[in-house]
Amino acid sequence: MNLFDIRNLSISLKSNDTDILAVDRVSLAMKEGEVRGLVGESGSGKSLLAQAIMGVLDPKWSVTADRFHWRGQDLMNLSPHERKAIIAKDVAMIFQEPMLSLDPTTTIGEQVEEAIDPASLEGNFWQRRKARKSEAIRLLHKVGIKHHEICTSSYPHELTEAICQRVMIAIALAKSPILLIADEPTAAMESRNQGQIFRLLASLNQLKSMSILLISHDLENVTHWTNTITVMYSGQFVEAGTTKQIFKSPLHPYTRALVDSSPAANIELPPKSRLKALPGSIPILQHLPIGCRLGPRCPKAQRKCVTAPKAKNYHGHVVSCHFNMKESGKV
Amino acid sequence: MLIFTLRRLNLFIFTIFLLTVLSFSLAFLFPGDALVNISGQVSANQEVLAELAQSYGKDQSIFNQYVIYVGKVFSGDFGVSMISDLPLLDVISTLLPATVELSLVALLIAMVLGIPIGFIAAIRHRKNSDNIILSIAMIGYSVPVFWVGLMAIQLFSIELSMFPSAGQISPVYEIERQYGILLIDILLSDSNYKWQAFSDATSHLILPAAVIALAPATIFIRLARTAMLEVLETPYIRAAKAKGLSFAQVVYSHAIRNALIMIVRHIGLQFANLITIAMITEVIFSWPGIGRWLIESIYQRDYTAIQIGLLVLSSFIFIVHILSDFLYAALNPLARGKKYGS
Repeated sequence: MNLFDIRNLSISLKSNDTDILAVDRVSLAMKEGEVRGLVGESGSGKSLLAQAIMGVLDPKWSVTADRFHWRGQDLMNLSPHERKAIIAKDVAMIFQEPMLSLDPTTTIGEQVEEAIDPASLEGNFWQRRKARKSEAIRLLHKVGIKHHEICTSSYPHELTEAICQRVMIAIALAKSPILLIADEPTAAMESRNQGQIFRLLASLNQLKSMSILLISHDLENVTHWTNTITVMYSGQFVEAGTTKQIFKSPLHPYTRALVDSSPAANIELPPKSRLKALPGSIPILQHLPIGCRLGPRCPKAQRKCVTAPKAKNYHGHVVSCHFNMKESGKV
Repeated sequence: MLIFTLRRLNLFIFTIFLLTVLSFSLAFLFPGDALVNISGQVSANQEVLAELAQSYGKDQSIFNQYVIYVGKVFSGDFGVSMISDLPLLDVISTLLPATVELSLVALLIAMVLGIPIGFIAAIRHRKNSDNIILSIAMIGYSVPVFWVGLMAIQLFSIELSMFPSAGQISPVYEIERQYGILLIDILLSDSNYKWQAFSDATSHLILPAAVIALAPATIFIRLARTAMLEVLETPYIRAAKAKGLSFAQVVYSHAIRNALIMIVRHIGLQFANLITIAMITEVIFSWPGIGRWLIESIYQRDYTAIQIGLLVLSSFIFIVHILSDFLYAALNPLARGKKYGS
């Protein structure tokens, strides 16, 4: 059963005279218990997409979609308020830069306690406070923080990034979510701490069967932890499939380039030769190309590419390209 | 926290040092004899002047003279007024509490009104209420205080006769003086008409305090609005929303405190501004405070009074500044602890 199913979600920014389409008809679906990676360069709209799902986008962005199903329930028919209530109950999100995502003037203990649903506490009102405290400590233990006394009385600036991210995960776990959206949870973190956070997320996925949407700009880094991957480029859907499909037989020229550009793929290159990479850089929002937005950088671009391609499904491996590897018979 | 306190204390000592240097040098910069300027003895004969020169150390170096002067100031010997021949310490200790009372009440009014209104404007950003609040704040900031004061007297005292137009309290009440701050003295006194006196003093206080508070309140509105808008953009507010907290909860438990931190930093600065407005308002409302007395002293070229009045008034402003810094540290854990690399 699908956990959620989003079709043709668009996010646009009302600018002075023109409408900027930052995310252009992206579809995303997840199964229960799945870890899906959402990969793309910076500025490809993956964080926007995640925030649109959570409903915490700034009001200046306008979001439209053809379908938004959550565990079989159609959320499009509900009012924004009801939709937010359902999402807030079952979905939690952790952000990049955990230190900035914690209130600098409130202690960690208070912030964790605040996230605990009062309905889940037992006992009379004078026992609530204690129950809330012990629940917060339990959550901190769960994410691997052993010295909870020091942690709960600290302010965010007194802790390291990795501990703050653990606290964020503890806060996210407070309502035992079905889906955890992790928006670049390890950006600006050392690799040792990165590993710890990813291992923690993986164990939560296996022990609690919590689905995780892992957003990252680093394809290679997430492959160890994900079952399926969705690739985005400049606000457009590129390719989705199992991690193996994406990595072993990428169908889209962009995914191919991404896989080829990773250091692991370039290990046999002679020293001091250039790494394989696409020319140019991701277009800025004010100057988006029409049709397939990869067009100007794509090695396979032809005249047909000025119209946006439709997504084609090859046994669960979805790709959005006129001249994908399957079409041109390379795979 | 100890280091924070020591740093503030250090700043305090240096500022007092510079203020006394300024006040000391004024005696030489004002026209007339420096000894007369510093002591206020205008009509002294040769013998008294020789005695004064001895006590101010006129035969010694300028540095020693400064040290003697500071010693005299801190032991309470401010000299006498050139006009009234009264000891300045007595004059100031009767006048300063009235100004302290008036300005602190005005600051309180400005903050209690200005900050919540600014928060409301920020929460209703780009809506009609935001625009209305901003325009009112702009007008309130632009009108000159002497005009507002006269208009307030015209409207509330003469037309509506809601508040008295001058003075601190009606002369029929006799209040024993203890601390000099009238409202506290009334509460401490055991007069039979205590509560009547209290309400009379309050009604005398409200109008001038409100006139003084107008301009700072509009500044607080704008400060609070900017601070709140800035805080509402931060990642931790977004994260708090993602936690599932309602907007009211987010504002109440996270945004207000962080926005207050940014505002509290400015209290000290705004207070200096407020005192300037208070001095003019004291003249308009015949408030028996140090501001009115200082302006009168300037008119009458009472150089001794000007020197000491400036010193006392700026010390008062600076003490409030330091207190607001402590409030800032109490609110902000980042300012309290030791910082890396500082």
